[in-house]
Amino acid sequence: MDANQFSGKLLLKHEWNLDDELFELWLQKKWIQEVPGIVRKFGVTMCQRCFNTEKKYFGLMPGDITYCRKCVAMGRLSEREPLYRWSGPENELEPIPNSCAWEGKLTPLQEEAAHAIVRTIQTKKRLLISAVCGAGKTEMLYKGIEYAAEHGLRLCIATPRQDVVRELAPRLRRDFPSLTSAALYGDSTERDHGAHLVIATTHQMLRYQNAFDVIIVDEVDAFPFHKDRSLPKAVNRALKPKHALIYLTATPRFNLKLQTALKLIPTVSIPMRYHEHPLPVPTFKRVHQLEKQLQAYELPKLILDWIEERKGRRFLLFTPTIELAQTLSQSLSIPYVHSESPDRKELVMKFRTHQLNALITTTILERGVTFPSIDVAVLLADHHVFDEAALVQIAGRVGRSADDPTGDITFFYEQKTNAMVAARQYTRIKNKEAQRKR
Amino acid sequence: MHCLICFRDITEATTWQNLWTVKEKNICDDCESKFEKVKGSTLCEKCMKPVSEEVNLCGDCYEWQERFQQDPLIQNVSIFTYNDYMKDVMACFKYRGDYELVHVFKEAIKDTFSEHFKHSFQLVPIPLSDERLSERGFNQAEALAQLIDLPIYNVLKRTHSEKQSKKSKLERLTSKNPFRANHPISGDVLIIDDIYTTGTTLRQAAQTLIDHGATTVSSLTLIRS
Repeated sequence: MDANQFSGKLLLKHEWNLDDELFELWLQKKWIQEVPGIVRKFGVTMCQRCFNTEKKYFGLMPGDITYCRKCVAMGRLSEREPLYRWSGPENELEPIPNSCAWEGKLTPLQEEAAHAIVRTIQTKKRLLISAVCGAGKTEMLYKGIEYAAEHGLRLCIATPRQDVVRELAPRLRRDFPSLTSAALYGDSTERDHGAHLVIATTHQMLRYQNAFDVIIVDEVDAFPFHKDRSLPKAVNRALKPKHALIYLTATPRFNLKLQTALKLIPTVSIPMRYHEHPLPVPTFKRVHQLEKQLQAYELPKLILDWIEERKGRRFLLFTPTIELAQTLSQSLSIPYVHSESPDRKELVMKFRTHQLNALITTTILERGVTFPSIDVAVLLADHHVFDEAALVQIAGRVGRSADDPTGDITFFYEQKTNAMVAARQYTRIKNKEAQRKR
Repeated sequence: MHCLICFRDITEATTWQNLWTVKEKNICDDCESKFEKVKGSTLCEKCMKPVSEEVNLCGDCYEWQERFQQDPLIQNVSIFTYNDYMKDVMACFKYRGDYELVHVFKEAIKDTFSEHFKHSFQLVPIPLSDERLSERGFNQAEALAQLIDLPIYNVLKRTHSEKQSKKSKLERLTSKNPFRANHPISGDVLIIDDIYTTGTTLRQAAQTLIDHGATTVSSLTLIRS
């Protein structure tokens, strides 16, 4: 067996998938080293996999054994069940030149970002790419991926969202047919045998240590990455000491904006979409007692009119809660999806392949998904789940394709919120910036 | 307090009733409402499976009666149905090994026990084979039995075999008895297990216990699938 396929891994015993004899042998050879699972230091208990220190996430097993409940879904880690990290020979990747089979052309702005990425990988630094929705972020990465493959660097694209992994992986495989790759997320069955290219959810980074030369975090500002403090730590642990770390997003949060402003992180800003048409600016429509009406299965005339006006154009309706999606789905007889709906994948697929003309969704479809030629309405846009980033991302679903670069985005609300105004402001500023660049 | 399943904080309204009853809630109302209790006007007298109105016994229990003349199991009491939510919770509890989740069922198990059984019953949890026990780190049936404040008699032993959940119904009904008893036992015995599917496991255990001196054997299972 090729041992260095395990390089950079940090796993539970059963996850190594080795027979007992070989495992023991490698332990003796110090190719695999034990790492205690739960560590107590200065009165603080900490999970060594997910960095959890919160008391409520620790559980007790018979025999007073502490285990971590926060990451238990990845296999139980306790005081008796340690982690094992690879400390044997390092993975030497075979350099593959000219791996990119994509023949498209980058716009000048994309070109600029692509260069910045390659430079960052060369110099092993950090970089933030702040590009509007529909700027063609994936294509900007191609030169960087090609460079990494050519120099035998291990590259990982990590994103907080499963859907993004599922959408990205086939595209990258098509465009880089000669590279080995692995797509890793909660219930994927693939395994990483020391692939050139790993496309994974940020949670999967918890299974690595000292593994990657380059990590590109796509949609850094998405849930749960920006809320869960353990995930940035996991990304840092998964990186080799000398590394390049690249963040991609349309809507950087305060922390990153601050770093940009203080020149702590080099930033490339791309205010224009790849088709060079402006971002659609949201229309605001106030509806009196909107929430009450929706809950009572009544549909305000303004919303019915909006749907009427679509006249066969396909549309998405965003709602803040699952319950509201459900009531709306009943009164409009349009199917709805949410994070736990069992037929989520099928419904999204049906919408994508034009078998459905409309879909009601919670914020799960706010980012990372592309449907050509759609209109979007946000109901109860003043709800607190719709922060600026969410609204900007939702508006970013409109007018994605070059053949049909415009579309309608409408916010229905009761009371205007700062987030709504900020989101509209964002599109206007970016459009102005874009005009200057033209 | 926080919910054992979703980790959200539980804030209970302060009412006079709350003040007097010392009931500590460890699961939020949202999560609690997703469990579904076994109920219905017509349940099999023996195993609590929903049946049509004309009969008292379900097909499985009837078959057992026919085949052995005397069914080793007197009665089974189950609490919850095996709905999708329960499946998720059990997957997390049993297969991922999140032991703390057992406390979710504390009230339900205690209440059901005092409703249907007497304190003179001797609790016998269905054991796991040694291999499975070391793999999982705990026995889920024993964990459930410990919720009832009575001594537990670990008199059964199990020889290692294929997982029940991977077998077909016929294989289950005709499989060899995997249980041995390492102690004699007497009086009324109550077997505790997590799930009642065809009843084969419970009946095999019950037969073993009767052979070793038990007067009657009943069972309390968390789930009726």
